[in-house]
Order: sequence, then structure tokens, then C-alpha cells
Amino acid sequence: MKADPGTFLAGPFGLAAGAATTVRLDKPSSRSIGRQPRSRVAILHAESYSQNLEQVLRSGLDLFRLDVRAKTVLLKPNLVDYAPGNHINTHPLLVSAAVECFRRLGASTVLVGEGPGNQRDTELVLCESGMADHLRQQKVRFVDLNRDELVERPLLANYTGMKSLWLPRAILASDVVVSMPKVKTHHWSGVTLSMKNLFGVVPGAKYGWPKNILHWKGIERSILDLCATVPVHFVIADAIVAMEGNGPLNGKPRPLNRIVLADDPVAADATCARLMGLDPERVTHIRAGARFLGNLSTVLIDQVAEPVQSPEHPFELVPEFACLRASPMSESSL
Amino acid sequence: MDDTQRANRLCLAQLVARQLPGGGWPFSFRAAQSSVETTALTLLALPSTFIRERERAIRFLLQIQNPNGNWPSFAGDDKRGSGYTGLVLYALNRSRVEGKPAKRAVDWLLHSRGRESHWLWKWKFRTSDRHVRFDPDKFGWPWMPETASWVVPTAYSLLALRHASGSSQQDLLSFRIRRGVEMLYDRICPGGGWNAGNGFVYGSALSAYPDATAVALLALWGEPPNGLITASLDWLERRAETCLAPWSLAWAILALHGFKRPTQTWINLLSTVVEPAAIEDCATLAMVSLALRCASGRNVFGANS
Repeated sequence: MKADPGTFLAGPFGLAAGAATTVRLDKPSSRSIGRQPRSRVAILHAESYSQNLEQVLRSGLDLFRLDVRAKTVLLKPNLVDYAPGNHINTHPLLVSAAVECFRRLGASTVLVGEGPGNQRDTELVLCESGMADHLRQQKVRFVDLNRDELVERPLLANYTGMKSLWLPRAILASDVVVSMPKVKTHHWSGVTLSMKNLFGVVPGAKYGWPKNILHWKGIERSILDLCATVPVHFVIADAIVAMEGNGPLNGKPRPLNRIVLADDPVAADATCARLMGLDPERVTHIRAGARFLGNLSTVLIDQVAEPVQSPEHPFELVPEFACLRASPMSESSL
Repeated sequence: MDDTQRANRLCLAQLVARQLPGGGWPFSFRAAQSSVETTALTLLALPSTFIRERERAIRFLLQIQNPNGNWPSFAGDDKRGSGYTGLVLYALNRSRVEGKPAKRAVDWLLHSRGRESHWLWKWKFRTSDRHVRFDPDKFGWPWMPETASWVVPTAYSLLALRHASGSSQQDLLSFRIRRGVEMLYDRICPGGGWNAGNGFVYGSALSAYPDATAVALLALWGEPPNGLITASLDWLERRAETCLAPWSLAWAILALHGFKRPTQTWINLLSTVVEPAAIEDCATLAMVSLALRCASGRNVFGANS
């Protein structure tokens, strides 16, 4: 058995936290992917998870003039695991509000889909997180992306060296994919936002629990290949209560009282990073994604609601990622 | 007929209705792609009186076995093999399917191992990558080639190899079983039980999962009683009290029953909470059926199977 030097830095368990700062991804090897010239982001204030989230979200979506009429919209929340008191998952009330908003905007079908990375019993996570009750009340179909029918798709970038991935039919058949991450720090990739959220579309039935091949190929590289191949049309990020420290499971809750909407996952993630007090230029996959997937620079992002305000105290990170914190007044962080 | 028997009969009727023309079963009844894990679990669930369905399932599994002896994840998958190979071999073994296909599968399992067992990775885990607490000398089986060992594929492989007969490589067989058992003990969560395979990461203990705990316990059946097994059974009993998801509850029943812990309460609960026709996932349906059969003392993963 040969050891692959390309994966040696990245680490098979997604270890090597330093990989985010040591792996060099200088050469964009993507093809056929166009970056939009400018991106729109809306930072919305939301004091808490309450029933008026739908109203807040609707006012935000109005700023984008999305046309989802007669389209199938798949909402992809971050639903990882359930631990009482830990803010691990995208909140069910936000998902519920998004379902209602897209229905009101004229979507023919709104689905919710997720493939948890560690927990094989998706229904258990749905039940215990409270998501199942909301889905039932709203009569929304949930697709377990770990166990959906699979279709092989060539990767549209070549950071991992994998030529193709098997992907869930529900994702490929949807007209509009909305990434709905929970804003969190991550001990192996620095942050987990709308781009990293795509790990959940990789089917466990083929790649296992966890989706370990993505760790062996490098987390950042895998994020980039996935984002190049699976188009994210819109982002609704849950930053009402975010997570800092030892995320994605064992961090501490950090209220930001914000929802971030965007028509570009790179711009969404760059903005979320700034709200966390981090410099998006220092997050490997956001920086690399800005070369071909979307916009990182504040000059290319139109903030159509609240302005970006970095917190007085940046998010806590595990020591290997302390370097992601923005320097005072650094251009890319503000 | 009591509630449990009635619920099981409904599960079996659903499974029969959902068998695909090729002989396999999909995960979701909406899908037309046969899943190897679902088919193996359903083969285990169908009583011997379902002759036609069982024969078609066996034929399907034998047809899609890869030339090197392993099984793919689903019909149409690539040929690299999957962590379900042990489960299929176990299901075929219980169905008295032996001969060359079984021998090829055993040979493949004996030589498949988690990538962390390579000397270079061992060195790396001992020197620099130490955020996940585990011993790379204790390895099992991966979900797919060239990745690390994880709990469920290791447990499936152990179940198969413990029942494998006639291997010409008895020393290797014993060695792999021993290493696999050691790997499971090494990856146990601090409070008992197992998750995917990381008990302690970045200074934090991670919680166990009912299904992974159950399958690991079933794979350890026959090992000398010890505190780790007892702690995991205790954890599973406590967890079952609040677990209403059929897949996890079914796995928990099978493990607790296998270790002679009381299960009637959970069986009654399962037979009342499930509506077989409403269960979209066929693998869950098969697991529910397997668990309900414990009421009559039959446990396909236990000593009394």
C-alpha cells in the first residue's frame, strides 16, 4: 500500500488541523466554472429563534428578487448530530421559515435534504433535533442524502485527484440548491459555513460514515471540488446563535443575532468569517474558492442590508487556527 | 396474533412488495437502485418460507459480487469494494450459501485493512497527528479501500469472519479477528458504547450512537465478559429509553437480546411506534422485522439464531 504524499499533509481523520494553513492550493485547476462579477449579501438582524423569523427572512429574500417560480428548491441545512444545549445544527425554525418563504415565492416543490457525516440514523437526528416535527407540520419531504439513489458525476475541479463522485439524485435533480449552514468554527478546517456544508451531499451509503475519503483527499481540496461540481444557488446562514471554539460539535454557543443571505457561497462565507472576526483570506478554501467560484473581496460584494461589523472579540478557535483571526484594520476582514 | 407478530407481518409484506425486479432492495422505496446493505439485511429478515424472494435476493447478491471477492455498495457501483462485504458474506452464510463466492469474499476480507495500519501512517499518528485518540496498531476494516478503519465495517467483517468456515488461512483469520476486536475496544467512547469510530477528539469525549454500539456489541459476542462490554450494554439500555427512531431502536433490541438483557419493553414500544407502510427506508424496515423476531427468541445476530 502506497502512502500518497498529496494527502499526507491533510490527514485521514481530517486531522492535521494545520493543514488549513500549510496546504498550498495555488493553482486553480477548475474548468468550465464561471465566477459572477459581483455578489450580493444581506446581513439581517434576528434577535432569537422565534416565530417571526419568516417575516425577517422574507424581507431579506425580497432584496434578491429570486425567481423560483415552478422550480424545485432543495434546502440543505447543517444537521450533524444532536446534543442537548449544543448549537450544532441549523435551527429547525429557520429551516421552517425558509420552507414557507420559498413556497410563497412560487416554488413548485420545496425539499429538505441532508446526509449527516457521522450518525447513520438520520431519522434519530431529525427527531431529537426537533426538525422532524416541523417537517411533519409543514408536510415537507425530507431526503436522506446518505441513502438516496446515486448518480456518478465528473468533478468540475481537480483539487483532490478524484475524477468523479457519486451524488444523490435529489441534489442533481433540484433546480435551486440552498445551502443553510450553521455558522461554526471547525477544528479541522477553521470554519464550517456554506461551502463546507456541502460535505453533507456526499452519500454515506457509498463513502461511509464519516465520509473519510474526503479527509484522506484533504478537507479543503474536497470542499473546492464539491463546490465546483454541486452548484449552490443561494445561501441562508444561521448566525443567530453560532458556535466558537472546538467546533463543529463541542464548541461553545456564541450569539451573533444575524442571518446571512447571499447569492454566492464564497461571498457568504467571506462575510460570515468577517462577522466572526476572522480574515477570510486566511481560510484556505475561501481564498482558493475566490479564484474561480465566487467573490471574497469587499469591493466585489454588495452588502444590501446591514454593513459587516467584526465583533470586538473574535471567535475562539483551536490553537492551530488562531492565525485565522483578522489583524486590526486588515483590508480583507472589513 | 399479538401486536408484535402483526407488526412483523406488515413489515415483511412491505419488504416483499418493495423487492426490485433484479432481486435487490433499494434504501428508499422511491428508488430503483438496489442497495447491497439493504438487500443483505432483508435477506436476513425474510423467514425461510419466503423461498422465491430469498432466492432472487441471493441470485442478485451473487451476480454483483466483484471479481476480487468484495461487494460494491449498490448495483451499478464501481468495482473497488465496500464495507458491506462482511455483512453480505454473513447474510449468505446464514442462508447456507457457501462455495467459491464465500471463499473469495473471505480472502478479500482477510487482506482488506484500514489505511492507518500502513507503517508511514502509524508513524504520523504517533508523532504529529494526535488529535484523535486511537492506536493505529489496532486496525479493522474501512468503508472503502484506502481509507481508515471504522466501527461498522469492522463489526460487519468480524460477524462474517467469525462464521467463516474452511479458510485455508486460519492463522491470518485468527490474527484479523483479534486485531479487529482490539480495534473496537480501542475506539470505545469514554462512557461506553461506540460511534463511527472516534471516541475522543481534540480533548473532547464524543458520544456514542445506538446503532454503532449495537453492531459492535454483536460483533464482540463470544468475547470474554469484561467491563467495556458491560458499560456499553448499560449505556445502550439507558439510551434505548429515549430512542424512538426505529433503526436505532431495532439495533439496540438485537444487541440487548443477544446479551440476554431484557428487551420486551423495547419490542413492545417498537411494535407500537412503527407503521411499516410509512417507513420509507427499506433497510430500516428489515431491521425492525429482525428486532421484532426477538420476541419469539430468534436473533439472527445472536448465539441462538
